[in-house]
Amino acid sequence: MIKRVLLLMLVVGMVAGTAQAESPQQILDGLVAQAGPASAARGEKLFRGKFSGGKNADSCTACHTNNAKAVGSHVKTNKVIDPLAPVAQKDRFTDPAKVEKWFKRNCNDVLGRACSAQEKADFTAYMISIK
Amino acid sequence: MKTASGITWKNLLTLILAVGGTTLLIAQAPANDEAVFPMPTGKTYLNECGSCHTAYAPGLLPARSWRKMMGELGNHFGEDASLEEPQQLEIMKALENLAADSAQASMRMRRINSAIPTNAAPQRITETGYFKYMHDEVRPSIWKRKKIGTLANCIACHSRANEGRYGEREIRIPQQ
Ligand code: HEC
Ligand code: HEC
Ligand code: HEC
Repeated sequence: MIKRVLLLMLVVGMVAGTAQAESPQQILDGLVAQAGPASAARGEKLFRGKFSGGKNADSCTACHTNNAKAVGSHVKTNKVIDPLAPVAQKDRFTDPAKVEKWFKRNCNDVLGRACSAQEKADFTAYMISIK
Repeated sequence: MKTASGITWKNLLTLILAVGGTTLLIAQAPANDEAVFPMPTGKTYLNECGSCHTAYAPGLLPARSWRKMMGELGNHFGEDASLEEPQQLEIMKALENLAADSAQASMRMRRINSAIPTNAAPQRITETGYFKYMHDEVRPSIWKRKKIGTLANCIACHSRANEGRYGEREIRIPQQ
């Protein structure tokens, strides 16, 4: 009995441990499943675009700089921000909860609204496409 | 044997030993009183409160300041810093345990706390008396440099701020 409980705990532990670590491609697949096919070109437009809806910044590049492989800097706090492209920062787009949290915050900062599943899929596709 | 001025070799040796010993003691004193603040264990605090800025040491503000801040994370200095409930509870507990007015507070933390009126719950570390006193010689021409920008960017100058370490030996002021 005890052995079975231990085994169960081990299995649960392993599942819980792997649940949060995904590859960027898996995260993209998850978003595409909600939105339909993604376009890296549209994602780049979102990344480089200037908007007026948000109250904290006018663009994603305000904090992430116009090169997603470069280190950014928070517009308000000046703290350095690691690059967004997975090719330059390998833990990017590997934790679905983290990705969701920052889309929610940052889209609101810049657009004054949440991003749609399509926008998130496009943006993620663009980040993955950067070599 | 006597020297011309009347100082014996033995006296001289005692003097050297005494001066040397005192110097050693002085050199060690700042190490004991180093500006090191306890930090929450685990990664939650660093991940959630160290993503937009330095993960500020809880001992820099009293618990009432942190309680107020944690109750308003949806509008945190104009940003949405809201948390899921488990993280919210974990962080609140750590902040209370390590705050400037907590039971195990160090001398330095007590000094920080005693400079804050008991009816105030400041939200900015940079507006507390202790912080201002410690940084009154850091001119705006320095902290307005591109790599610093604001005095709240502790980690730009205190390279190990995320570990709670603010000692003088670990200060590196960016030149641009
Ligand atoms: C006000 C500054 C700011 C702006 C503007 C901003 N971001 Fe961010 N972004 C951050 C910070 C801070 C982080 C998290 C810090 C870290 O993980 O290093 C982050 C992280 C992210 C992440 C998480 C990636 C991962 O897996 O780690 C995504 C996705 C993201 N941002 C997308 C966007 C998009 C899309 C925009 C424009 C609509 C945008 N950001 C604009 C500050 C900003
Ligand atoms: C989404 C970004 C973001 C997150 C997440 C965040 N903050 Fe902040 N925080 C800010 C901004 C922006 C400021 C104001 C910066 C300024 O105006 O100088 C700030 C300021 C502060 C200050 C005042 C600094 C000073 O002395 O001026 C404290 C203390 C603080 N935050 C604590 C926290 C804690 C604790 C958490 C975690 C529960 C947290 N922050 C999470 C963005 C964030
Ligand atoms: C522009 C660079 C700069 C920034 C930014 C900065 N500091 Fe400092 N800090 C200094 C310098 C220089 C000293 C040394 C002052 C002295 O000893 O005369 C100091 C001293 C201190 C001390 C006292 C150290 C000791 O040995 O007693 C503490 C604590 C401290 N800073 C905390 C902070 C915190 C917290 C922040 C962010 C909210 C911060 N500092 C931001 C430059 C900076």
